[in-house]
Amino acid sequence: MEDDRRVGDLVRELVHRLHNNSSSSLSNSNPNPTNVKYATRILSSRMTPSITADEAAMAYSIKNQLVKQGKLSDALSFADLYSKFASKIGPGSVNNKWAVLYLLKVISEDRRTNLKLQTDSSYSGGLPTLFESETNGNHTRVTKDSSGFSRLGRNLDHDGSDDAFPNDNVNGLRNSNSEKLKNGGVLLVSRDPENMQDMAYREFAVIVKEENDVIEEVLVRDVLYACQGIDGKYVKFDESVDGYLLPDSIRVPKPTRIMIRKLCELGWLFRKVKGYVTESMNKFHDEDVGTVAQAFCAALQDELSEYYKLLAVLQSQSMNPIPLVSENASSGSYLSLRRLSVWFVEPMVKMRLMALLVDGCKSLKGGAMAGAIHMHAQHGDPLLHDFMKRLLRRVCSPLFEMVRSWVLEGELEDIFSEFFVLGQSVKAESLWREGYRLHSAMLPSFISPSLARRILRTGKSINFLRVCCGDRSWADAATEAAAATGTTTRRGGLGYGETDALESLVTEAAKRIDKHLMDVVYNRYRFKEHCLAIKRYLLLGQGDFVQYLMDIVGPELSEPANTISSFKLAGLLESAIRSSNAQYDDPDILDRLRVKMMPHNTGDRGWDVFSLDYDARIPLNTVFTESVMAKYLRIFNFLWKLRRVEHALIGAWKTMKPNLITSHFFTKLPKAVKFRLILTSRKCQVLWNEMSHFFTNLQYYIMFEVLEVSWANFSDEMEAAKDLDDLLAAHDKYLHSIVEKSLLGERSQALYKTLFMLFDLILRFRSHADRLYEGIYEFQARTMEDKTDLPKHSKSKSADSDSWLSEGRKAITQRAGEFLRNMGQDIDAVSNEYSSLFKGFISELPVQQHIDMKFLMFRLDFTEFYGSAS
Amino acid sequence: MDPEAARTARESLELVFQMSNILDLGLDRHTLSVLIALCDHGLNPEALAAVVKEFRKEPPLTSSTPTTPSVP
Repeated sequence: MEDDRRVGDLVRELVHRLHNNSSSSLSNSNPNPTNVKYATRILSSRMTPSITADEAAMAYSIKNQLVKQGKLSDALSFADLYSKFASKIGPGSVNNKWAVLYLLKVISEDRRTNLKLQTDSSYSGGLPTLFESETNGNHTRVTKDSSGFSRLGRNLDHDGSDDAFPNDNVNGLRNSNSEKLKNGGVLLVSRDPENMQDMAYREFAVIVKEENDVIEEVLVRDVLYACQGIDGKYVKFDESVDGYLLPDSIRVPKPTRIMIRKLCELGWLFRKVKGYVTESMNKFHDEDVGTVAQAFCAALQDELSEYYKLLAVLQSQSMNPIPLVSENASSGSYLSLRRLSVWFVEPMVKMRLMALLVDGCKSLKGGAMAGAIHMHAQHGDPLLHDFMKRLLRRVCSPLFEMVRSWVLEGELEDIFSEFFVLGQSVKAESLWREGYRLHSAMLPSFISPSLARRILRTGKSINFLRVCCGDRSWADAATEAAAATGTTTRRGGLGYGETDALESLVTEAAKRIDKHLMDVVYNRYRFKEHCLAIKRYLLLGQGDFVQYLMDIVGPELSEPANTISSFKLAGLLESAIRSSNAQYDDPDILDRLRVKMMPHNTGDRGWDVFSLDYDARIPLNTVFTESVMAKYLRIFNFLWKLRRVEHALIGAWKTMKPNLITSHFFTKLPKAVKFRLILTSRKCQVLWNEMSHFFTNLQYYIMFEVLEVSWANFSDEMEAAKDLDDLLAAHDKYLHSIVEKSLLGERSQALYKTLFMLFDLILRFRSHADRLYEGIYEFQARTMEDKTDLPKHSKSKSADSDSWLSEGRKAITQRAGEFLRNMGQDIDAVSNEYSSLFKGFISELPVQQHIDMKFLMFRLDFTEFYGSAS
Repeated sequence: MDPEAARTARESLELVFQMSNILDLGLDRHTLSVLIALCDHGLNPEALAAVVKEFRKEPPLTSSTPTTPSVP
């Protein structure tokens, strides 16, 4: 109340002042009450201002106004004043600064308008401007004096034909007013009368409606249906062209037709992708489709559901028209074909990619499919790259899962044979070599072959441990490995794009499992000891045992092969073991040693079929397979033959060494025979020496330079071997080197034959030598009798012997001489043959290129006796 | 009113007067003070401006009875 009274007072005061100012009549102390009433009426006619209260904007607009009028210095000073004014706060200052500013502005505008229009005819009141400000926003017409307005309109538009379009003039006025207030009250002169634009729009709309049978809205909707694979009202799938199109019967402008065709490419692509997905889903039951393909279908379906979402949004937009600012625009709905083509850009790219993938993967499965998709992912475009990455993550998850379970648990869950590790059920002893292998067709391209080999080996090791060694503690190694790389042993730990993680997991697992396997093989199964045992027994490393064996078994083996019983030989083997140092060996190892008779033909002697065998059980028979043992057997045979020949030579020496018998015999003989005896025995001895020299050196070479050196190398490699594959390779190399160097290899066939001929020759020599000395002993024995009797000059006890003796001595001598001569000839023959063979052998040696025989050659021929005697 | 507030009011009025001079409104200090007071009371500035305009033009019209404009 008090406020109102105050307001009333103020109003009165205002009127009074204004009145006094404007009229130059004498000032009344009291204002005219009518005026006051009038003023009050004006004031109460509108209570709220038509614009929002923004103080700074108001000041700014006033400043701009001043600038537009060219009063720049005024504008600056105004800005200055305003800033000072605005900073005045607190009691006594103006609270409603905006109102004050607005007031100033409006008054100044009115003054200017007034000044401008004062030359023209006046109109009723100064209210039209207010009218304009009030009617901004509504579309109501102002029923005013049209002439005045028209003239106002004329002032505002510079080429408006006012008589013809009176309404539009007001429109123009209205629009320019709206512009006026939009710009904060700055008066703008509109350039182009909007009436022309509106007319043009309306005419165009009419033409469009006439020309087309179908309006764009319907076409848009049809296209949206087509993009979901459904035939629309007008746009249908045409089998002949293999695409969606608008039949020619419907009349639409050519650009529209072309645009529809372009947009329907999306529909065609969609059909293709969806077709593939549905087809695969139908085949799920047939179990023809692998897990990777299933994952692929799932990923595609996810992408398609995203696509459906987009289409749903577009469809809802095409149903509801959104009004434009200018209501006479041509398109009735928001969504036009052009807009649709913009929206479709991204889905088109994605759909194209999916269709490409579908085409590429139609006939593939498993790892091959993953590899093919991965090839497509090598793309620079980040959008496509992300898309492919997402897709591949899903597609490869079954594969990664398989890898994980294989590497950490040795399990192969592969129903559809999509994994690149193939397993087949074999016997335990070939589990390592043949149980699992890599199927390179299923190897995806983001897994390198070396990684694949490592994966294969790790899983194989786990299976090997489980099956052959009966070991359970590998699971700890597996969990350790998983923990070390930060993944878990549960499912879903790995995904595509984490090939590094996979690699590190595999490496860790491989490292641990291999170490574990090696530990087991070395420590639990004492691989090294067994290998050494094989070397000692099969490769005749245990010299004393071999000697005993040879001594005991030798006479037996001279019999024909089919009369020898292996039981007897086994017994002999046992006794040999017991009588040598071998008895102190580990009984487990000795158990495994046994006699083996090879399959024999008639005419074979025991020597040819006798062999020793070592029984390596699981798991060591992975290393000592049948073929490996066969190789060992061959070497054993060869070494056994060597020993036999050596044995023979030594045996010959036993009889050949100078002894009393011979010397006794020697002294009694007449000179001629004596010479012959000397000659023969000398020849014999020389030959023996030669043979012995050859033989010792050969033996030395074989035993030391071949066997021991290879064993040392193998030992080193065994130490360094990190997994079973390495071990197997080392062992193979070891055997191979032995075989090659001891002339058993394929390329040394000629040498081998020569060697065996030499051996036969030596054995023949042995028999000759034996015969020679036997003969000598026999003669000696005879002459001994004679001799003992002779010095006595006594009558022999038996007349027979006397006569025989007396007559026999000559005969004996003659016979001895003859015998010696024959023997000499035989030995000569042997000697010749031997030397020729030997020379041939020696000359062959340096020609060998695959093995280094120079040590042997040097030893055999260090004096170049043979080389120079050719 | 304390002297501080009085000073502020005086200074504000002075500033507004100078602003109105720049805009060439032809209002004197007293009128302005009244107008400012009315604005502060919350009256619509557009209405006040209308009043100002009306009464400035009074001279040609006040001779006759004031015309009541047709306000829709």
